[in-house]
Parts: sequence; C-alpha cells; structure tokens
Amino acid sequence: MSQNQIDILQRALHREKLARKQAEKILESKSLELFKISEELKDVNNKLTSLLDEKTIQLQGVFENINDAYIVIDIRGNVVKMNDTAVHLFGYNIKEAPINVKSLVYKEDYKYAINSFKKLLSNGSFLNYTARIFTKKKQIKWVHINASVIYNKQKKPIAAQGIIRDITKAKFSANLIEKQKKALEKSNNELQEYAHIVSHDLKSPLRSIDSLVNWIKEDNKEKFDVDTLKNFKLIEATLEKMEQLISDILDYSSIDSTNRTQQIDLQKLVLDLQKTLFIPTNISIKIHNKLPTIKGDKTKFQQLFQNLIVNAIKFNDKEKGFIEIDFLEKQRYYQFSVRDNGIGIDEKYHQSIFKIFHSLDAKKGSSGIGLSIVKKIITLFNGDIWVKSKLGEETTFFFTLKKQ
Amino acid sequence: MYKRLNVLLIEDDAIEVMKLNRTISKLQLNHTITEANNGSDALKVLNETEELPDIILLDLNMPKINGIEFLSIIKRSEKLKHIPTVILTTSSHKKDLLECYKIGVSGYVLKPLKYDDYVLKIEKVLAYWSINQLIEF
Repeated sequence: MSQNQIDILQRALHREKLARKQAEKILESKSLELFKISEELKDVNNKLTSLLDEKTIQLQGVFENINDAYIVIDIRGNVVKMNDTAVHLFGYNIKEAPINVKSLVYKEDYKYAINSFKKLLSNGSFLNYTARIFTKKKQIKWVHINASVIYNKQKKPIAAQGIIRDITKAKFSANLIEKQKKALEKSNNELQEYAHIVSHDLKSPLRSIDSLVNWIKEDNKEKFDVDTLKNFKLIEATLEKMEQLISDILDYSSIDSTNRTQQIDLQKLVLDLQKTLFIPTNISIKIHNKLPTIKGDKTKFQQLFQNLIVNAIKFNDKEKGFIEIDFLEKQRYYQFSVRDNGIGIDEKYHQSIFKIFHSLDAKKGSSGIGLSIVKKIITLFNGDIWVKSKLGEETTFFFTLKKQ
Repeated sequence: MYKRLNVLLIEDDAIEVMKLNRTISKLQLNHTITEANNGSDALKVLNETEELPDIILLDLNMPKINGIEFLSIIKRSEKLKHIPTVILTTSSHKKDLLECYKIGVSGYVLKPLKYDDYVLKIEKVLAYWSINQLIEF
C-alpha cells in the first residue's frame, strides 16, 4: 500500500468520524424532544384519568340515585349491574344470586320482549318498551324501558344498559279511566235511547186522545153545546202542552255533549230564527251590535237564542213590546244580552228560574224547562247566565260563552 | 189520472190503524188498506199475497220485528225490495232518520199531534203516490 493510498483512507476515515459525531448529536437532540413529548403525554394522560375518575364517580351517583331502576346486562341477558331501585323493583339482587332478564319477562309478553331484544342488538337501542314483568314475589308490574347497547373499542357489542320505570300505577289508572269512559259513554247512549223511547211512548197516547176527541166531535156535529165544545178545546190545548213538555224534556236530556267543530254565524242564526218564530206584530226585535261568528253547535245555539226570545215574547204585556239583543267581546269570552220590556221577574226568583220545572207562570203555556235548557247549554260552553230585572218594567238576561 | 193504491199499513197501535182508515174515508179516497200489526205479520202477508202492495206505510216502533228490521229484510229480498216504503213514525231521532234513508226509504213522515195535521199529511202522501208511475205485477 503506498503512502498515497494510506492518506486517502485516513481522510475518508476522518470524514466518516465527523459524520457519525454529527449523527450522534442529531440523535441526542431528537431523543430529548421525544422525552419532552412523552412527559407532556404523561401529564395529559394523568389529567384525563382524573377527569375520567371524576365522571365515573358522577355516573355512579346518577346510577345510585335515579328514581328509575337501572341495569346493565351482558349480551346473553345476564344482569351484571343493578342499582337499588332495580333491586327493589324486581325483588332480585345479583349480589345474592345471578339472574337473567328472561326470568323477569311476563309470559304473554315474551314474544314482544324477544323481538325488542333483537332490535336492541341490531339497532343499538330501543325506546318506550312497555310491557309486564314478573317479580321475585310473583307480582306483575308494568314497566317502561329505554335501553342501549354498550360497545367495546372494536365496536363489538359487549353489554346493554336499560332504564326501567315502574308504570304499574299509571297503567292501572289509565286503564280504569278508559274503562270508566267507555262505561259512561255506553250509559249516556243508553240514556239517550231511553229518552227517545220514553218520549215516543208518552207521545203516542196523546196523539190517540187528540184523534178520539176529534172523532167524537166529527161524529156528533151540531149535537154539542158551546160549553162542551169549549171543554174539547181545553182538552186539545192540554194535549199540546203535554206534548211540548215531553219534547222539552227530551231536548233537555239531549244536551250532554257538543262538538265545537262548526263555525256558526250567530247574526245569521238569530235573523233566521226571527223568520221561523211566530212574532206578534206589536213586538219588535232589534240587534244592536252585529253578533259574532263563533265555533260551536248550530242546534244548541238555536235552542239557546230561541228559548230566550220566545220567553221575551211570551212574557210581554206591553202595547209596544221590544226585544233588544246585544253583544260585547271581552278578552276571554263573548257576552250577550237579551232585554225586553215585559212583565219582569221578582228578584227572589232570579236564581230559581234556571232550575228545571220552575216555571213562574204555568198559564203561559210554558213547561218550566226552557231556561234550564238555556242554562245547560251555556254551562256546556263554560259560560254563565244571570238576570237583571225591574218588576213590571223590564228584564235583561246576560250570558257569556267562553272563547276557545 | 189518480190511481187506486193498494196500501200495506204496518202499525201496532189500534187507534193509529183506525186513524188511517178514517182519514181515507173522510177524504173519500178509494185506496185499499191492508193491515199488519207488526213486522213479522207483514212478512207473512207479503209472502202469502198474490198481489203485492203499491206502497208500504211503516211504523218504526213495534214489537217482534220492528220497523227498521222489517225494512232491512224487505230490502234484501229480490221479490220485495222495489216496493216504495214510507216511514210513518213519531221518532224524530236523527239516528232513526239516517238509518232509514241509508237502508232505503221513499219517505219519512212524522206523525203530528193533531188529527187535522195528520189528515193533511196523509192526503199529500197518498196523492203523491197516486200520480206516480208504479211497477205493476
């Protein structure tokens, strides 16, 4: 090897040494950097761990303190965790013996339970599962359950948790209310039918009497004196009154429910009533403020206004009678008034006139039901009725109908 | 031209039957009235007769087979379903009214309280069916 070659090798060696030193330096600074990062990570990790502990304690609190039962089950249905409420609800305690949710399911709800469990596993959760369970003490309880699946890091389902609410009492009351509602509806319908049948059966003899009286009159034409004919007229008038009474009672008993679906133009309704009612020529009817259009039941509003107007006509003794209908819109209700200059009502009767069969003047051909029909309809619309009157001079009926 | 009607009256109340007969004679009409006291009697009459009535006047409230049941039966019968049936009743019950028109009636007349009003109503009903073109068997 020549000196020249040796020099070349030595120079190469020197260069390599330098390069290694440089590399070592870089390595040193990199590993320092790495150490720093690792320290930071440790710090963050510690912080996270303590945060997680805190959350776990909070969750534990929620788990123990919620009013609802809370359980965690594995995917085979074995209960792995349950809070005190759950122990209380089911009567079982996993600290004493293992249990599977299958043993809790009420026989008739088994299919529903299995389907819901399948749904839970495939969808990850279910809401509003409502069914019966069978407790350790062989009690049947209604429960409402919301549940969700717990997954591991590989997104594999490992467990499920559920919040279970005891709705036995609520279910029982709801059932009871539903049953009673149906019973009430049925009995109302029966009463309705009964009222119609009674009304038919009571009216039939009246028709027969009227026919018989007329035949006697026809068959004995010119044989009866004036008094007898007068008495026949009285029989007919009595029959008419009796029929009216029966119709009114039927009407009264029919006002038990109402539908508020129709929009009723009360102005038109009252004007139409004026056309159909018999209004003597000495009586004038005036509407001061245009009546509103409100939601309600046409037949009932007709009965309401008709009864008040007919009363005002019937009990008017003045040469020039008037009936004034007025209306005021208040914030929460409509207020109407029907005023007349008739015979007036003594103050001591101002309450009792609204009770059934409290006609003050039997001679006027009234059944004593008209105002009780009015009162019943107004009550149905959450309203009120009252009267102001000066005996011998005037009467005003005020009534309200609540806005919806 | 007024046709003489063959009327089947289905009515359980004896005075109501007298009333129709008396009304016919009072109005001097020469329609023929056949009486049946209830739905099942009426079915018997309809099954045995050789000449079906031109119209039926039917009360609703009757024992055994009531008016609505009777109506459903004849409307299901190929032989009887064409006979115009007019309800003559005291029931102004909306339920009855609707049910009758649903099954198929040719009229629904309320029996009034007063005999005179009854005569007027019957006169109009019979006059109307007298001028109608009827199916003859």
